[in-house]
Amino acid sequence: MATINGQTEAAQGNIAPATVAPAKQSLAPAKTVDSQSVLRRLQSELMALMMSGDSGISAFPEEDNIFCWKGTIIGSKDTVFEGTEYKLSLCFPNDYPFKPPKVKFETTCFHPNVDLHGNICLDILQDKWSSAYDVRTILLSIQSLLGEPNISSPLNTQAAQLWSNQEEYRKMVEKLYKPPSACA
Amino acid sequence: MQESTSSFCNLGVLDALTDDSIQEILESYNGFCVTTQTLLGGAGDLSAGTEFVAHVHSLCKHGLESLVRDHFLRVLEEAFERNGASKFWRHFDAYSNFADLKRNDDVDINEDEIQQVLCNALEEISLEKQYQEKCLLILVHALQSYKDQMSGERHNFQAERDYLVSKYQLLVSSVLMATLPRHFPVILHWYFKTRLEELSTIMGEDFDDDASLNKDDMDLDEKGKVFNKVGEMDVDEYYSHSRFSENSRLVKNIGKVVLDLRSLGFTSMAEDAYASAIFLLLKAKVHNLAGDDFRSSVLQSIKSWIQAVPLQFLHALLVYLGNSVSYESTSSGLKSPLAPQSSVCCPGIDTPSEGLIRWKLRLEYFAYETLQDLRIAKLFEIIVDYPESSPAIKDLKLCLEYTGQHSKLVESFISALRYRLLTAGASTNDILHQYVSTIKALRTIDPAGVFLEAVGEPIRDYLRGRKDTIKCIVTMLTDGTSGSSSASGNPGDSLLEELNRDEEIRENDGVDDDFNTDDRQAWINASCWQPDPVEADSLKGSRNRRKVDILGMIVGIIGSKDQLVNEYRTMLAEKLLNKSDYDIDAEIRTVELLKIHFGESSLQKCEIMLNDLIDSKRTNSNIKATIKPPSQTSADTGDNAISMDLISATILSSNFWPPIQDEPLNLPGPVDQLLCDYAKRFSEIKTPRKLQWKKSLGTVKLELQFEDRAMQFTVAPVHASIIMQFQDQMSWTSKDLAAAIGVPVDVLNRRINFWISKGIIAESHGADSDHVYTLMENMVDPGKNGGSNGSPQELLGGDEEEERSVASVEDQLRKEMTVYEKFILGMLTNFGSMALDRIHNTLKMFCISDPAYDKSLQQLQSFLSGLVSEEKLEHRDGMYFLKK
Repeated sequence: MATINGQTEAAQGNIAPATVAPAKQSLAPAKTVDSQSVLRRLQSELMALMMSGDSGISAFPEEDNIFCWKGTIIGSKDTVFEGTEYKLSLCFPNDYPFKPPKVKFETTCFHPNVDLHGNICLDILQDKWSSAYDVRTILLSIQSLLGEPNISSPLNTQAAQLWSNQEEYRKMVEKLYKPPSACA
Repeated sequence: MQESTSSFCNLGVLDALTDDSIQEILESYNGFCVTTQTLLGGAGDLSAGTEFVAHVHSLCKHGLESLVRDHFLRVLEEAFERNGASKFWRHFDAYSNFADLKRNDDVDINEDEIQQVLCNALEEISLEKQYQEKCLLILVHALQSYKDQMSGERHNFQAERDYLVSKYQLLVSSVLMATLPRHFPVILHWYFKTRLEELSTIMGEDFDDDASLNKDDMDLDEKGKVFNKVGEMDVDEYYSHSRFSENSRLVKNIGKVVLDLRSLGFTSMAEDAYASAIFLLLKAKVHNLAGDDFRSSVLQSIKSWIQAVPLQFLHALLVYLGNSVSYESTSSGLKSPLAPQSSVCCPGIDTPSEGLIRWKLRLEYFAYETLQDLRIAKLFEIIVDYPESSPAIKDLKLCLEYTGQHSKLVESFISALRYRLLTAGASTNDILHQYVSTIKALRTIDPAGVFLEAVGEPIRDYLRGRKDTIKCIVTMLTDGTSGSSSASGNPGDSLLEELNRDEEIRENDGVDDDFNTDDRQAWINASCWQPDPVEADSLKGSRNRRKVDILGMIVGIIGSKDQLVNEYRTMLAEKLLNKSDYDIDAEIRTVELLKIHFGESSLQKCEIMLNDLIDSKRTNSNIKATIKPPSQTSADTGDNAISMDLISATILSSNFWPPIQDEPLNLPGPVDQLLCDYAKRFSEIKTPRKLQWKKSLGTVKLELQFEDRAMQFTVAPVHASIIMQFQDQMSWTSKDLAAAIGVPVDVLNRRINFWISKGIIAESHGADSDHVYTLMENMVDPGKNGGSNGSPQELLGGDEEEERSVASVEDQLRKEMTVYEKFILGMLTNFGSMALDRIHNTLKMFCISDPAYDKSLQQLQSFLSGLVSEEKLEHRDGMYFLKK
């Protein structure tokens, strides 16, 4: 009978703590950060993101630089952002995943926690960052942030004030929304 | 009227005319007219000649020479029209519907009769013509003698004569041409055809005799021999051969007809007629000789036949015509290809005249072309039985060298391929075999491979569209002699042989091979690259540099050798997993051969797989040797225990094997125990390694003992597990059985069909739509059982399809493609629109982990167009968009 020679490679799983990505290769141990392991990490995150099939979020590296990604978020159903699509840019630092990526909205987004330049106020992108997060979780967090803003610390006070009136808010979103052009 | 014309011409003379002279002119003119009429009246009476001469003289005296000539010629024309032409044509009136008859192939025409009619008619008109020529000569003499009298010295008699004779010739042919009935050329054609056929049968017999006589020598140096032979025959011509006299009589007949026709101005028509007859004959001969038999070369015998029959005839004809044609050719001014050369004037000396050589070239070209067309039209069939039909291929090659109509071959063959091979009905195996034969055959015709490239393209394109192409290719590569798939193709052209052959070549002239396995080789090839030779000299030179590489072309279908190697790996895995012994010599050999072609590195995984087998063998015997004592004790404790000797394990390094399909399965207790022992022992020997059994794989040999019989089977473990359950319990419901074995119910229902079809287990319907399976202790006709069950064979067939232990390459490919699809959709979501190039590059850059993107631009394009047709993407102005 045929058997599999189950070599006792305990390290077959991911060593990097709680990486969501089902990385094929074992990632390098935490402390020794070299660009190779960052590349591999981003690579596997991309693969995981592509294979996850989450609706409404997507991201992909720009042509020749895996440290710069373009992201796309579609407003969730039953929120004022339903039917809108937002482009983001994600810039990964060289010591990723120990530092969070810089994430910005490229399309104007009328949202209490997004300022006029597209900067986002989101805890996991600042002090609450953990290397356990990845592109997919970031995008999912931003997507849910759209529907559930943090009114207490707004970047866009007008939006924060208007939030209570969802109908008016929806009109404002529609008025300011510019569908992204076809070209990146 | 005549007078007025003449006076119009000679106004000055008119003044000087006296009444007397007018009287004289009138008298002699009348006399001239009357005598002319008498001469040409058709009575054939030349007695009026002297009187005629006198009148001519007197008219000439008054300077009316031109009048004399014109009038005479006019009357001559009328006479010829009346006595010659109309009579001549009247002979053929009976055959006026001949042309139509011919077309209907209605051959109830009396051959001899028409021959006779033609000869008679020609003779009659020739006589008439001769007579008229005589009359003309009288005139010429009269004019001449007048001139001689006047000047007292000899004028150039020849010029005058030539002028009038040529005038007359023109007159004759124009009259005949003007009145030519439509059916006359057909008659001529038909005449020559029958005559030539007659002749060729006579000469053909002769030729056959000679051929059989010379057969032994012919093989040695055929060309020279045939030439010699013809030379001898030419010399022999005047030795009386019994047959030859008959020949020459026939030739003379024909020659006479031709001669007569020529003198009537039908030179070109006669030539056309007998040339076309000869060509028809030749064509028929070629078709007859070549036919549908591709197993022998016919070119040589066609050539010999040309030498023996049509050229002999033409030679004789030219010799016969030679005597009389000299003035004909000067008068007609046109140099016909038949125009005999001076050498023919002395026929005893035998140097083939230029005309004859020209005829020979024409005939040979025609023969080559006919044969070539014939072979090209049948090229498909020829290639189907290629190794046997190589003589036909060689013939074709020679023909093409001569005619240079390679493009005809390419076009016709491609359309034949499209029509006959590249259809849904043809199996991929057949297409591949035909492709290989095509490569081999065309390699003979065109060593440079220029045309092969053109012909191969449609086949390759088509094969790329077939799913099982790679599998078939790998089967062809690896299954040297037998195997289920090669049943349809002839094992003779297995690619394995090609692998071997190429290896030998490689050993012999290492550098000349253009299959580049490493970069250095590629560099060497690149540095000595030269453009393809132009068609003309593609056959010489470069032969040793550019070798048509069958394997390379086959691999070219697939696109990359990696794909091929991958498919081979899957196939190898399947094969190895199904082996119960460790005999892998054949596989090792194949892998070694493939390694030579595709490089060590690409077959590394396959090597590891083979090494696994070798290691397994060693480990297996090692374990068995050490485990013996405990197994003996266990045999004492329970009678269900099985000896370790009965098991042989294949131990795989799973990382290097293709993904293996594993199904959960509960093995019977004793077997499971045995496996556990084995695994324990293994981990003792090979710490820190552990065995993980793939219980659903492998084969089980078992014997079933019933009350009345014993049966032996070799089955899959799942089948063995099923039947083992019936050892203790005669009847099972499908639910319970499935639970006991540890497989889903539907899988069980499928698997158990195997035993049902063998008549060992019977199926019946129990409560809750559950099946109940019962063991049949007594022999039951399996057919009867099968009747109630639909068709067990089919079910079994379906079962077997499932029963692959290794994920097929298609599955792997599909998996790969879904990955690519996700990537493509992902990048298009974020970038909006992208061009093909950019998608390709992006995939190359970011899709690098397993499975890495290794497709070509073309493959990507076809994949994208697949997505477009699935309405997932849009394609506009060279850019791809997401379909919204």
